[in-house]
Amino acid sequence: MKEQFEPVIVAFCCHYCAYTAADMAGSQRLVYPPNVKIIRVPCSGKVDSIHILKAFEKGADGVYVAGCLDGDCHFKNGNDKASRKVAQMMRYLEEIGIEPERLEMVKMSAGMGERFARIATEMTEKIRKLGPSPIKAAAA
Amino acid sequence: MQNLDRSHTSKPVLVVGGGLGGIRTALDLAEADKNVVLVDTAHNIGGLMTQLDRTFPTNNCDLCTLAPNLSESNRQEHIKLMAMTRVEAVSGEKGNFKVSLKTEPRYINLDKCTGCGECLKAFPECVTFTPGLDHRAPTCMRYPQATPQAYSIDLTRCGDVEALVKCCPTGAINPDDLGSRGDVACSSIVLAPGASLFDPSGLDYLGYSDHVDVVTSLEYERLLSASGPTSGRLLRPSTGEPPKRVAWIQCIGSRGLQRGAAPYCSGACCMFALKEAMVSKERFREDIETTIFYMDMRTFGKDYERYYQRAKNEFGVRFIHSRPHSVLMNEASGGIVLGYTTDDTPKLLSEAFDMVVLSIGFRIGDEMRSLATMLGIDVNDSSFPVHPGLNQVETTRPGIYVAGAFEAPKDIPETMVQASAAACMAGKDVIPLEKEIEEAPALPLERNVVGEQPRVGVFICDCGENIGSVIDVEKLAERVSVFEHVAVAMAAGHGCSRESMEQIRQTIEEQEINRVVIGGCSPRTHEAKFQDLIRKAGLNKYLLEFANIRDQVTWVHSHQPEKAMAKAEDLLKMAVGAVCKAHPLAEHSLPINKNVLVIGGGVAGMTASLELADQGFRVYLVEQSNRLGGIAANLKRTLEGHDVQAFVHNLIERTQSHDSIEVIMGGMIVDHTGMPGMFTTGMQVGRQMFYRQIEHGVTILATGALPNRPNLFGLGTGKQIVTQLDLQTTIHDDPEKVRSWENVVMIQCVGSRTEDNPNCSRICCQNAVKNALHLLDVNPDVRIFVLYRDMRTYAFQEEYYQKARERGVIFVRYQQDQPPQVKLVGDHVEVTYRDIILGRDVKVTADCLCLSTGLIANEDSNEEMARIFKLPRSEDGYFLEDHIKLRPVDLPVPGFFVAGTAHAPKLISESLVQARAVASRAQTILARDAINLGAATAKVDGKLCAACLICVRACPFNVPFINADGYSEIDPAKCHGCGICAAECPAKAIQLMQFEDDMIISKLEQLFEKVEA
Repeated sequence: MKEQFEPVIVAFCCHYCAYTAADMAGSQRLVYPPNVKIIRVPCSGKVDSIHILKAFEKGADGVYVAGCLDGDCHFKNGNDKASRKVAQMMRYLEEIGIEPERLEMVKMSAGMGERFARIATEMTEKIRKLGPSPIKAAAA
Repeated sequence: MQNLDRSHTSKPVLVVGGGLGGIRTALDLAEADKNVVLVDTAHNIGGLMTQLDRTFPTNNCDLCTLAPNLSESNRQEHIKLMAMTRVEAVSGEKGNFKVSLKTEPRYINLDKCTGCGECLKAFPECVTFTPGLDHRAPTCMRYPQATPQAYSIDLTRCGDVEALVKCCPTGAINPDDLGSRGDVACSSIVLAPGASLFDPSGLDYLGYSDHVDVVTSLEYERLLSASGPTSGRLLRPSTGEPPKRVAWIQCIGSRGLQRGAAPYCSGACCMFALKEAMVSKERFREDIETTIFYMDMRTFGKDYERYYQRAKNEFGVRFIHSRPHSVLMNEASGGIVLGYTTDDTPKLLSEAFDMVVLSIGFRIGDEMRSLATMLGIDVNDSSFPVHPGLNQVETTRPGIYVAGAFEAPKDIPETMVQASAAACMAGKDVIPLEKEIEEAPALPLERNVVGEQPRVGVFICDCGENIGSVIDVEKLAERVSVFEHVAVAMAAGHGCSRESMEQIRQTIEEQEINRVVIGGCSPRTHEAKFQDLIRKAGLNKYLLEFANIRDQVTWVHSHQPEKAMAKAEDLLKMAVGAVCKAHPLAEHSLPINKNVLVIGGGVAGMTASLELADQGFRVYLVEQSNRLGGIAANLKRTLEGHDVQAFVHNLIERTQSHDSIEVIMGGMIVDHTGMPGMFTTGMQVGRQMFYRQIEHGVTILATGALPNRPNLFGLGTGKQIVTQLDLQTTIHDDPEKVRSWENVVMIQCVGSRTEDNPNCSRICCQNAVKNALHLLDVNPDVRIFVLYRDMRTYAFQEEYYQKARERGVIFVRYQQDQPPQVKLVGDHVEVTYRDIILGRDVKVTADCLCLSTGLIANEDSNEEMARIFKLPRSEDGYFLEDHIKLRPVDLPVPGFFVAGTAHAPKLISESLVQARAVASRAQTILARDAINLGAATAKVDGKLCAACLICVRACPFNVPFINADGYSEIDPAKCHGCGICAAECPAKAIQLMQFEDDMIISKLEQLFEKVEA
């Protein structure tokens, strides 16, 4: 019997909002798939194109950057910068033959534990449908 | 709990009330090196704000901003926090009080409780977590970030005490807890117990007791809140369906209108209702209709008028100027029918709604009333403490101060300002003893680990059942022990307990561990604790990584234990990979220059100078003009009847004669350099423009505002058309003239709340009432017409407004698009206005037309100041504070503070509160010998930098610059540590310390190692 494909998804989470929302999801015991692995950054604007590409290169099936809601960035506009970077990287992924939907920018406030869990679930489902990353498939 | 014996140091300040105000007072005092005992009757600190979903005017989530303050207050060494504690008696006097405290039993040992929630799971009836709609329910740990992070037990509800005790994995439950009683000696007392809310159940016409869909504004807030009973889904309590039409009714229990209502205005409810309506609209858009029934929209705070306009114009919130007279049930539809009338029709109107929100006001509850009685402080008719002079935070008993809603109804920013001001006053009463050199436990020298092979120690907590029930921690440790560079991997039980911490320290020393990974909870809450631990073990604080296997694994994947185990292993592997790349980092610190520069010699500037000078700091007070006193020098008396002239003269005299204050007249700031703690500011002084430089540690801006004189309604065309400021001088100096007048017309909002100047000037409504009452004192026969848009006589000003109405002053509303018409006729002014109720024009021939023109920002000087100091300003030219809610007198540039009307229009007493607040905030910097700037700052590798300017443009705080050597330089003292420059730098010449690229990439490599294999 073929096992269900379990994607590995990297979530870069801003310390002030999304990472706190993840803690909030925890304290509310909201269930989401274990496929999502969080890397904490001080601000979503700190996430570098290199980090995103490296994640895909190493074998991530999906990546998302989670920052604060519009206007709530602790550092004024780091989340806008992250949004722009992610949009740009999505175009780039398409050029090199990776589905751009594997990358996403999401926004939430520190209180939104439920949103964190929902996004983690939706992202996992989406990537599961897309199947393994072409990079991983090529390496195999 | 910390060691309570502080007899060898100066006596602490007692802060009563652990809401936001009390926390601010305690933090300010603690940061200024003074000891505090903070008591609250509740189980956890945080007060009312912890129940709010979002706050105006930013509509931000609250917990995100409040929670760090709460845990901060627990961390502070100077603060002793006593929850579930009340004051029973107070004796003694200023500088030397004796206070008897009684602590109720919690039945839980705070040292042992980890907040795991096992007791709640087993005995939900006696340990309650859910903050339900019914706020009378025992809500013991009301929100997830509670401080202290511990539950509380209601033993009376427990049937099987033995089983309850057994269910606690750490043995923290103690049914024999008897509480405690004790005396505390203190120097001064700050009362910040907040206020209660009006209970509308006695007003049967509102239907609050009969219909579940009629809720109070706080209950509606809980329905919106993510931590509320519906997890943030707005649902009608009756049907569980989302409501389509919601109505707010303002002034419930306030402004003396219903049975049992208070005579004052509660000040915050208009903004509260606007916020709730906007948040509802934000979430449901076209699916919800929001209507606010109001008497006067009182959006008088800084930028609040814009918020009101946004609600109306952008969010489509509907406003009806009316007081509904009935709230009835429609049995057939299950909905609510509001009955009301409006100004422009005699007809009775009715409208159906799904939910009705009652905007309830503040009250002084019985408990607070008896507190005031017990302390022997005088209160007004509504039981709020009275202040003898202009200083709002003083009470009639020296040494006892007040802050927040207990002083008078108010919102959060004003509470925060008062809280700091109270800290300033209370701190002055602390008699500093010879500072005994407290033997801080000597830290071992930091081991130099550079060049060593990584020897990582991994310590994995089971956090009781929290982690241990889902994954086998011993087995996990076994698997982790084979990872590369791991020297030790072991289970640590409750890692944050004292025994485990000691064991970890020993292991680090004995096994020569040079890097540490903690597998457990969130670094947000526990990083500082473990950083201190490894420092004690001789390691640099930054050789630590966290794997958050509780919040991110066992709490959320408990139904998939195998996958949870695998994920925990992954997270630990990532942490090990990252910590191997970690470098020892130095925290940046700077010595502090303890001089103060105050700019502006009005009442705010002088008061701030005096408060700081009295505390022994050297103050330079720079005034641009050649006299002190500012606008207040022209004022005669306040609404309450205080003599402003005498007050200002006294202030000027004390300022000029103070040994520690140097007043610099005719000083113009021209340049500025440096960083907080060591600024240098240059100025040109006097007619000779002689240049002088001052070195100082903090800067206080109290540059004031200007009286507005717009060319509206004929101002300047005839001597019978004057401003309120002119009128009060005439009443005072020329009463004979006033006695000859028959009619006086006042027009409100002249040059305020217009397109050119959209904000409310805040002071004009009370000004009109003040001058009207004064006119009637001098000439009881004069007829006074006040043409207004909304009367904004907030808090106790409302009572003077009522008095003016009772004495025959005629208040007439006008619409912005139908302003009164003004014509000069001989010595008189003919004013024609549209009477909305009569539906026709009314003409008054007045002896005097008085325009309420308010204040405007001093554009020229503020622009210059903002340029020199790199400070942001609001759209209308006032200085913009760092955080409108939580840091209302701190400016975004560290070391800068703002007080008085340079911040926004305000009354003298409000300026004085701000002046004392900045004095308190300034002391939090000045009390230190050095500023610790942390280690997470960006660093440029000059060899890689191509000086492309991308970082210069990307930095949100304008920190990077190209230095003389031709590469980008980032001043660690100014860097906020966001890392945006590092991400944007195309040459990868910038690294953010503590989050270096190689650490992040190492995490990725570790995560995918097995995937590749």
